[in-house]
Amino acid sequence: MQLTYLEAIRQGIWEEMDRDPSVFCLGEDIGIYGGAFKVTDGFIDRFGPERVIDTPIAESAIVGAAFGASLTGMRPVAEFQFMDFIPCAMNQISNMVAKTHYLWGAPAPLVLRGPSGGYVHGGPFHSQNPEMWFVHNPGLKVICPATPYDAKGLIKAAIRDNNPCIFFEHKYLYRRIKGEVPAEDYVVPIGKANIVREGRDLSIITYAAMVHSALEAADILAKENIDIEILDLRTVSPLDREAIAATVKKTNKVIILHEHSRTGGLAGEIAAIINEEAFDYLDGPIVRIAGLDSAIPFSPPQEHHYLPKVEDVVREARRLNAY
Amino acid sequence: MAIKKKKSVSKSSSNGNRPRTTTTHVAADAFVRPPKGNSANLRTYSIPDTRLEHPNLSVRQSMEKDGHVRYEVTGNLDAPVPPIRDSKYLGRQQCIEIYRFMLLNRKMEVALENLYKQGKVVGGVYFGLGQEACSCASAYALDKDDWFAPMIRNQGSLLVRGFAARDTMMQYMAKADSPTRGRDGTSHFGDIEKRNMVSPISMLGDLIPVLSGVALGARLQSRNIAVMTYIGDGGQSTGVTYEGINFAAVQNLGLVLFIESNLWAYSTPSEMQYRCQDLAERAIGYGIPGVIVDGTDACQVYDAAREAVERAHAGEGPTLIEAKMMRMKGHAIHDAAAYVPKPMFDFWKKRDPIARFENYLVKEKKWLTAKENAELIADVERVIEEEREIAVNSPMPTPESAEGGVYCEDGCHEIKPKYGMPKVKKGTASFKQTEAAVHLK
Repeated sequence: MQLTYLEAIRQGIWEEMDRDPSVFCLGEDIGIYGGAFKVTDGFIDRFGPERVIDTPIAESAIVGAAFGASLTGMRPVAEFQFMDFIPCAMNQISNMVAKTHYLWGAPAPLVLRGPSGGYVHGGPFHSQNPEMWFVHNPGLKVICPATPYDAKGLIKAAIRDNNPCIFFEHKYLYRRIKGEVPAEDYVVPIGKANIVREGRDLSIITYAAMVHSALEAADILAKENIDIEILDLRTVSPLDREAIAATVKKTNKVIILHEHSRTGGLAGEIAAIINEEAFDYLDGPIVRIAGLDSAIPFSPPQEHHYLPKVEDVVREARRLNAY
Repeated sequence: MAIKKKKSVSKSSSNGNRPRTTTTHVAADAFVRPPKGNSANLRTYSIPDTRLEHPNLSVRQSMEKDGHVRYEVTGNLDAPVPPIRDSKYLGRQQCIEIYRFMLLNRKMEVALENLYKQGKVVGGVYFGLGQEACSCASAYALDKDDWFAPMIRNQGSLLVRGFAARDTMMQYMAKADSPTRGRDGTSHFGDIEKRNMVSPISMLGDLIPVLSGVALGARLQSRNIAVMTYIGDGGQSTGVTYEGINFAAVQNLGLVLFIESNLWAYSTPSEMQYRCQDLAERAIGYGIPGVIVDGTDACQVYDAAREAVERAHAGEGPTLIEAKMMRMKGHAIHDAAAYVPKPMFDFWKKRDPIARFENYLVKEKKWLTAKENAELIADVERVIEEEREIAVNSPMPTPESAEGGVYCEDGCHEIKPKYGMPKVKKGTASFKQTEAAVHLK
């Protein structure tokens, strides 16, 4: 079945709610309205208002209530209307939810999900990629899918996981990409990266919308006989260290590409992993391509300038390949 | 909005197995609003107040002759000490049981103070001195299936809910056998299997939505439970307090929230924390019942807690209970509370919850003879000494035990709905593959 990225997420949650009565959804405007992006469209008719709960505009209450319900053995799926609003619930996530298993041994099987990312001119409060705050927060699993297949398989895996999972959906991809999604039940394992393009000259390690920018750049570079390998991380915490090391050992040159700001970004962490796991295999500097160290601006020319572009990837790949 | 009175008085309480007075039913109606009054222009609300005295003390900052700014207390500091109010529900045996928990609470904290002075405690010690009636009598009103989450000073609640004094003592000493195996201290631990306790965190107010979520989870499993937690007059200033109470109110969840108005938030008096006369008034804004009790009177605390718990079991939603009392020590053991005007300590010392309850049981009610009372106290001291011994002898954790347990790995927990698999009704609507008008396409 061909599904958009958004439909794949919708189908994943739908199937889990169908399969497991302990799964329920809560969030702002997710019921009759179906969510700001319509991810839960039709859910309230199927599963009823008890399991598809419209909440007050209160992110700490949403996360707190999801956590409390998870302590009774439920599997809540809480929606953030935009992931930009997730810091409103930071204390619940960081100090309550993430630490709970380590400190007092209570599992918190909940999913916090919502749209993130730029390229849609959403401005500084509707375009952010706040995943790094949670990567630096032990106890959470942070998932950022790039394709409909992975989006469905990973949301199902997140719902079934016994740990708090933060699921970043890329809003640019919601309706722009379609892909084949199997009809039968499947999950994509959390914490496993995926080679989406095999190549021998240079690796691009990336995830979410940037996977598609990398693929586009790889097509351009292929015409110049530069053979790009692309590793889609799929999960940014815990990171798939083995897959990162393996691709570096294979191509010996690496670009790390992400949308969020450069300083303190994921590329720094991955560079450190490469340093620890595959330093002797490097034939060139580790290259970072990332968003600017500023808020993400609103006006299209400014946003375009802020975000990584296909031409940035092509340029940096040529430079690194010449090493 | 007074708490609805039950037509029939339920059977007498005993902690943990009080028969439910209502049949279990699910009130999933999240759209309850109070009935419209007759008068369109003037609305009247009431906040029941069961106290037998209304202290009129107030604190303000004043510049003194020596050039220092200090707190000054005004009001009737010589007011007579009120009696204990007879409980509508508690009988002799239950009163004695609560009294015993209060004694355990206090003597455990005395033992902790001594352990601190012996250098055996890691970090500080937090005391509930003067607040034992609130901690113990509130938790005593809960059923076995109900949930609770204490704050730092509610160490007595843990004893009522069946934790041993050694658990809290080992937490303070960061021992290997402590409930968190050394990973956290104080009352920061929990138990989701037997005693239904959510571990507190140091940030205040966050437990309120969490406990509401516990009630939501139980309701999805067709159980109306009571979820009790506490917040101080300081902690209630946080935004998440509002979010949590409002969520419980909108969803009609069985939250029983004690606001422990203990007059001092670290060094800040309640006058600098909020403007309204009584924090129970906040209940009006949430559309839920609010009541005021004397937090030093175990009977008043219990009665209010019990009625709130019964409302929760009947699916009638949350209740806010303001318990008035005073924190009789500093914020923690390092803090001598020199900023508190001494006459305030003197005033509240006369209202000591244990001394007054003892007097009530021994002299007024004659439910305990002086000999029985002495035996009870000796027994509590013996228990605490045994607990202290066990706690002290627990080893420190190994350094390596800092590792592991960040994630719930395969086989570490079996997760299933605690009160039974939710019964689901499914509509006929099928999966939608739609294109609709959306934000930021």
